[in-house]
Amino acid sequence: MRKGNLIFCIFLIAVSAYAVLTATGWSFKTKLFPLAVGIPLVTLLVIQLLLMIGGKEETGESGAMDIDFTVDVPSEVARQRVFGMFGWIVGFIASVYLLGFPLTVPLFIFLYLKFQSNIGWLTTIAITMVTWGCFYLLFQSLVHIQFESGALQTWLGM
Amino acid sequence: MFDAFIEGLILVLQWKAFSLMLVGMALGFCVGLLPGIGGAATLALMIPFIFKMSPAEAFAFLLGMHSVAATTGDITSVLFGVPGEAISAATVVDGYPMAKKGEAGRALGAALMSSLLGALIGAVALALAVPIVRPLVLTFGSPELFMLSLIGISCITSLSGTTTRGQIKGFAMGLLGLLISTIGQERQSGSLRFDLGMMYLWDGLDFVPVLVGIFAIPEIIDLAVRGTSIAGDRPPENLSSGVMEGVKDTFRHFWLVFRCSIIGVFVGIMPGAGGGVAQWMAYAHAVQSATDSKERGGFGKGDIRGVLGPGAANNSKEGGELIPTVAFGVPGSGAMAILLSGFLIMGIMPGPEMLTKHLSLTFSMVWTLAIANVITVILSLAVLDQLAKLTYVRGGLIIPFILLLVFVGSYTANGQIADLIVTLIFGVLSYFMVLFGWPRPPFVLGFVLGKVIETYLFISMTRYGFSWLSHPIVVALMILMAIVIAYPYIQQRRQRSREPIHA
Repeated sequence: MRKGNLIFCIFLIAVSAYAVLTATGWSFKTKLFPLAVGIPLVTLLVIQLLLMIGGKEETGESGAMDIDFTVDVPSEVARQRVFGMFGWIVGFIASVYLLGFPLTVPLFIFLYLKFQSNIGWLTTIAITMVTWGCFYLLFQSLVHIQFESGALQTWLGM
Repeated sequence: MFDAFIEGLILVLQWKAFSLMLVGMALGFCVGLLPGIGGAATLALMIPFIFKMSPAEAFAFLLGMHSVAATTGDITSVLFGVPGEAISAATVVDGYPMAKKGEAGRALGAALMSSLLGALIGAVALALAVPIVRPLVLTFGSPELFMLSLIGISCITSLSGTTTRGQIKGFAMGLLGLLISTIGQERQSGSLRFDLGMMYLWDGLDFVPVLVGIFAIPEIIDLAVRGTSIAGDRPPENLSSGVMEGVKDTFRHFWLVFRCSIIGVFVGIMPGAGGGVAQWMAYAHAVQSATDSKERGGFGKGDIRGVLGPGAANNSKEGGELIPTVAFGVPGSGAMAILLSGFLIMGIMPGPEMLTKHLSLTFSMVWTLAIANVITVILSLAVLDQLAKLTYVRGGLIIPFILLLVFVGSYTANGQIADLIVTLIFGVLSYFMVLFGWPRPPFVLGFVLGKVIETYLFISMTRYGFSWLSHPIVVALMILMAIVIAYPYIQQRRQRSREPIHA
């Protein structure tokens, strides 16, 4: 965990330092605010990093005003589930890109319920159909959100 | 004055105006529940429908919708950790952990009742303040508004850690949020900043995909990891009594709710700050109400005061925002700017006439705010038990629907696939922030306030050079900011000095 935190801090320093270095080349008006914010940011992050390296950061410090992740699940299982969930999210976005929202919605709901949640066929199909209907009625017919067609349909000229 | 007050009530209670207010409320209820579809966007969509309405009907319709969206936005924040509205984000921080503890009913009861009290206080403030607020608004120029925004960020960052060192992370996150807000075209010179050669970034990052990613993705991941319902394996609370407990909590902490409502009104009056700031300032104030660092550490883990404060402020700020809009034609937020166009469509010019010729119409707005919220809360309280039961539905069943809400919501920002990618990127960032104990609220507040702060800073520098730093109100606000930052240290020191006495 400590190593991960160090890497995360270094990542934040790298991003902030990149922003500061990029901003230095801009005109005064353009760079004023990014530099006014970026320089103290890099400074604070470096102090934080040094505290962590020096082992001075208090362990077990629970950050106020934010949630804590569950610790009841074995770390290996937790890691698998985290990767699995991010996989579903990336898959969802890839599907929206390839097939568009209207097709992704029933496909995603069906696949997730059937293969991730292990719900029975009949229930899965029923929930998928109801969700698809609600999605169509609410977002397409009522709110008129314009969903782009997927890249696949565009390539196939559909 | 009293005649106009009663006349305003009669205007709202006329069957056509009242029916339109109910229609607006129904729309606002749905809009509030759906993440991404903001109250301001819906106001804009509904503007064309007011052409054939009388002014009282039009404002009953529009304000009924807008005020209710702020109230119901808290429901998805509590139930799923997904902010229904941008102004409901702070409710997630303690509302969702309460749902995870099996106290969704209590959190919802508290959120709705505090919203109602906030709305009523906002309405009263609108009624009382219109004639006297002019000097206050005119006293606050860009330098003062700049300092006020900085105080907003300082409030939240200074309370980000239970220890001194934790605050470094808080301030760093606030600054990171400010830095991220600079992405896109710089308003004064038109130069592009950090656009990475992508046209999508020219307008900067939209608030909704970032916010939804920051708050919803880590909650969804955690729900998937736990493999249980949102409320876990805890025995279902007595949901009805939970809701009533939340209602009672509102009155137990009445003065906190009152103070947070006043914060909401005050932030609402100040042009540009908006509900995004009001809720976090109120949240910070709720955290400050903790008597010691241990109690403060309970915030973010499901402290009822973390629900009450933002709930009250994001509704009271509606009344506050209406004050400069009605009295001077200076909209306090994007939604109020759209409402202002409603005034013009109705042939009404905001300003002194609203306090003389159209006083009854002004009071009809006060009544609409009050009546719409009372009806919504009463109706919502009746169905809260059922809504709270959703937190006991198996996680595997509910996750795909939450994901769907999250991504459809973020897609509504620009209608591009890039919105979804932004949500994912900030979701990943947020996941690591939670994992490694870097607080998210300061980041969000910095991101929300970034553009406003930069504009105020630029105007201050252009108009006054560095002399604005010596303006009396600016100096007073600087001192206030120093107190805000030092407050946790002072509190810690006082606590330490008390300890030997107790020992």
